[in-house]
Amino acid sequence: MDPTAATVQRSTSPFLKGYAAALGIYDEMRTDQGELRAHWARFASSLEKLGGSETASRWESGRRLLREHGVTYNVYGDPEGMQRPWALDLAPLLIPADEWNRVEAGLIQRTRLFNLILADLYGGGQQLLRDGFLAPELVYANPGFLRPCRGIPTAKNIYLHLHGCELGRSVNGTWWALADRTQAPSGTGYALENRTVISRILPETIREHDVRRLAPFFRAQREMLFGLAPKGKEHPSVVLLTPGPHNETYFEHAYLARHLGFPLVEGADLTVRDQRVFLKTLEGLQQIDVILRRVDDSFCDPLELRGESFLGIAGLVEATRAGTVTVANALGAGFMESPGLLAFLPGLCRHLLDEDLILPSVATWWCGQSDELRYVLDHLDTLVIKPALGGANRQPWFGGRLSRAERSDLVAMIHARPREFIGQERVTLSRTPVWCENHFEARAVVLRAYVANGGDSFAVLPGGLTRTSATAEDPVVSMQSGGGSKDTWILGASDYDPAEPNASDVTAPAANRLLSSVPSRAADNLFWLGRYTERLEQTLRTLRCVLGRLSDESARDDSPTLKALSELLHHLELIPAPIRGEPDNGGLQSKVLRLVYEPEIEGSVPDLLSRVRSIASTVRDRFSGDTWRILGRLDADARSRAGRLPLAGALAMIHNLVLDLAAFSGMEMENMTRGHGWRFLDSGRRLERAVSVVDLVHAAVRVQSHRAEVLEPVLEIADSVMTYRRQHYSEARLPGLIELLLQDDSNPRSLAFQLQVLSQHAQDFPQPQGSWTENETEARLSLLSAVAKRTGIEAHGCSSAGEDSAILEQTLREISDGLHAFGDDLTHYYFSHTLPRVS
Amino acid sequence: MRQLLYNITHTTAYDYAGSVSVSHHILRLTPRETSRQRCLEIDVRVDPVPAVATCHSDYFGNTTHFVAVERSHHRLEVVSRSRVGISPAFIPEAGETPSWESVRARCREDRSGQALEAHEFIYASPRIPVSDVFADYASESFPSTRPILDAVSDLTRRIHQDFKFDASATTVNTPVEAVFKDRRGVCQDFAQLQIACLRSLGLPARYVSGYLESDPPPGMVKLFGTDASHAWVAFYCPGIGWIEMDPTNNCIPSLRHITIGWGRDYSDVAPVRGVIIGGQEQQLKIAVDVIAVDSDDAE
Repeated sequence: MDPTAATVQRSTSPFLKGYAAALGIYDEMRTDQGELRAHWARFASSLEKLGGSETASRWESGRRLLREHGVTYNVYGDPEGMQRPWALDLAPLLIPADEWNRVEAGLIQRTRLFNLILADLYGGGQQLLRDGFLAPELVYANPGFLRPCRGIPTAKNIYLHLHGCELGRSVNGTWWALADRTQAPSGTGYALENRTVISRILPETIREHDVRRLAPFFRAQREMLFGLAPKGKEHPSVVLLTPGPHNETYFEHAYLARHLGFPLVEGADLTVRDQRVFLKTLEGLQQIDVILRRVDDSFCDPLELRGESFLGIAGLVEATRAGTVTVANALGAGFMESPGLLAFLPGLCRHLLDEDLILPSVATWWCGQSDELRYVLDHLDTLVIKPALGGANRQPWFGGRLSRAERSDLVAMIHARPREFIGQERVTLSRTPVWCENHFEARAVVLRAYVANGGDSFAVLPGGLTRTSATAEDPVVSMQSGGGSKDTWILGASDYDPAEPNASDVTAPAANRLLSSVPSRAADNLFWLGRYTERLEQTLRTLRCVLGRLSDESARDDSPTLKALSELLHHLELIPAPIRGEPDNGGLQSKVLRLVYEPEIEGSVPDLLSRVRSIASTVRDRFSGDTWRILGRLDADARSRAGRLPLAGALAMIHNLVLDLAAFSGMEMENMTRGHGWRFLDSGRRLERAVSVVDLVHAAVRVQSHRAEVLEPVLEIADSVMTYRRQHYSEARLPGLIELLLQDDSNPRSLAFQLQVLSQHAQDFPQPQGSWTENETEARLSLLSAVAKRTGIEAHGCSSAGEDSAILEQTLREISDGLHAFGDDLTHYYFSHTLPRVS
Repeated sequence: MRQLLYNITHTTAYDYAGSVSVSHHILRLTPRETSRQRCLEIDVRVDPVPAVATCHSDYFGNTTHFVAVERSHHRLEVVSRSRVGISPAFIPEAGETPSWESVRARCREDRSGQALEAHEFIYASPRIPVSDVFADYASESFPSTRPILDAVSDLTRRIHQDFKFDASATTVNTPVEAVFKDRRGVCQDFAQLQIACLRSLGLPARYVSGYLESDPPPGMVKLFGTDASHAWVAFYCPGIGWIEMDPTNNCIPSLRHITIGWGRDYSDVAPVRGVIIGGQEQQLKIAVDVIAVDSDDAE
């Protein structure tokens, strides 16, 4: 140990000041004598060098990074809680190498054991039940035991590819397995993100610590997944299956998909044909070999598993039965999460592996056995009672905290159905320091560790997802109930990973091929993302224009400009009726401000923003981190409130949002590969812009009183004031305006320009099976161009006094209909993916 | 030994208002080989001709077909034709069967062969709950030490007496609790109710799916389509095996009951289950004909 560290350890370190560790509880950082543990010394001195205020500011920048990276965690049933920002603490959990080596061996043993149990129950003769090593009740009464999955072949005999194990440290300092996650364990992505952020905010500290890297685990897992393809296929296609954006850990699904290089798909993106699984892409069906699933197993196939679920793929079980696809973890593996199994693990381990469990489970008594039942009832006060089969997310009963009535109810329940309950020792979890604004406080800590199983090899994530309790008093650790997370540092890396393979050596070309194809659903969502961002921009420009006129000092509701503008807004369907023109002012202002701030109004700024946000989240894996940050800023900027100067506040906010949108479309133009994904995003934008410029002109033509007053604002909304002035040197007139906004194909805001781009896209669209031909689109689009040419002449007609505008209006309607029909074509040919249903 | 032969035609037809682009179905329409039944011929046809048709034995040993129709269709018809030979069931002397408590105790402890298999059927299953309500109802038939066949026969008689057959009262998805409360239903409901009663007492009971030959009214020729798919119960008795019981007809199934297969409840052995894409509204027609064949014809 270096001398500085030793000094720190002896002195009353500022780092320890005010840190109160409870007696009789193991503290990760401090010994019972109140001294720093040796492996914390370096960390303490590193933070001391930084000093208190610097530490606080590092923590702040960590929080900012998480917000910018859009790291979220969805909390069910909490209206505020959807997309709750991820809580990450400044201080990691530190684990010395020798301690971790033992944990690692214990984890691998546990994964091997679990896999053997699954192999016997699903793939073998259930000999463990016959021979009495496992109680049949725990299997046969278990809703997690999926009978249709019995006898399904598995690649390399792997049932459990990724195993998550909750670890806690007991009073005497040993690590215990508290629970297991065996169907679709979450958290490796959050663990990786935690590391990314901590490396950014404590770069010197992590360098000094010789921390084991996480990347090799993910590379190994990726290789293992390729190796799971049936019949040793050389270039397998792997996808990550997600339940969708409403899932609590959706952020992680998109994050891992990007990191591992697998397309992120939902059940509706996949289809089973000829007992094989295919991804529906714009180019047609592409066969899938391996599915890394984040969908719970009983939801994976409405045909043979839960009929009411549409998160899965009809026929998936049959495809696995035919051996054409590997699902990881195997369907039915979730059964191993049942808490009742813990009571049998020591015996099963000796029987199946001829070894003792290296990593003990928390002591568990299954009440289905008479001695164990008696023990549990005798020691109720010190035990936690849980349902033996898990399943329902039921809160456990803490024997010692029950009222007399609750206690006797519980005893009656256990007596009535003893087999449905277990008693578990209450583990007093260790405590670890958590940064609270300007000092450290002790919190209970749980570490979720991960093992990836490749059949012939295992990889353990060096670290894991550490979580802490929300308060010092409540030792329940759960992200759902407001706890926080930490990075986890396994020390002593240099002894461990001597020869790191170069990351770029191990990218498989197969996955890239699949990545370049776009699932139809993603194309659909990108198309609508294009439409909604453009619609939002148009709305912002319109509102900005009106707010600008309202804040003129001469503005009154009875002024000709405002009356005409209110009529324009009415024709654009932004306000229900034009203002009556009361001289007291304010009618229009309040209507417009409501459009800026009220989410309940359809088409208002917050309404459109929430649509943009929810669509963007479905295609999150297709955007770079920078693009995602821009979308995050859009949200942050939209949160500003009007304050005491409502007009100025609203205008400032709109200015910011318009710039954010410009940045987004800039990223889209400059950074997105010109594949079909981009093409559909841009088509959405172009189509929406075409529709809105036609609507805008149409609304202007329909203005009855003081029509001339709206022409300048219309040019402003369409961002074409400068161009008009350069061309005409005069105040705006209708024919010139129509020519510039509808017919001038050099104006990037005009209808003609959008039609030109759309027709280029249509030529480049993939050719799906079916009747779509590029000629058909071409014809539709060139017809529209021809129709647009008539508008100039018709405008001359209706601008001269007394002439009727009916002919021009008819033409504009014709163009608008044609544009909507083009949108319908795209939907029909590319995006039709009706949901299946059970009959 | 006397044996009866039956020709069975079981037709399931879906008519869809819209076109269905892809459909996947699981079919359990093949009569099972049992100690009293042989399946002599079986032919399952699907129209339109499926792109994929495979066959496997499910968890409970029932023959299961998987069929996928992968082109657009407005109608799907599944026809299962079989010829089945049935021998009379062996029915033990009720008084010689063990007491119901000893059955319960032995089923819990014995983990060899058939007993472990019976263990599957002691617990609640997707459509059959286990609760004191059912145990209370059953208890009247289960006084201490009563031989199990006596007790179950009495329970069967009471269900037959207390519950009214009413095809309009329930659907295929009516929960057992509702059947119990309203005291009416059809064969599937009575079978699931009786299973709930037996399991709530800790006894293994399974759901049997099959057909029943029904007698023509006196003086009339038997008409096609009057027979229906049927369901009943079997309970496990150590040393004897599974004994069947039909609560709908208050009898022990024998020569007129033809078994397709069994599971924990209807959800394990639904004859046809499918997932379709498209289709909108659908109309379902089911027709079952069970024709007794004269032994001479059978030669």
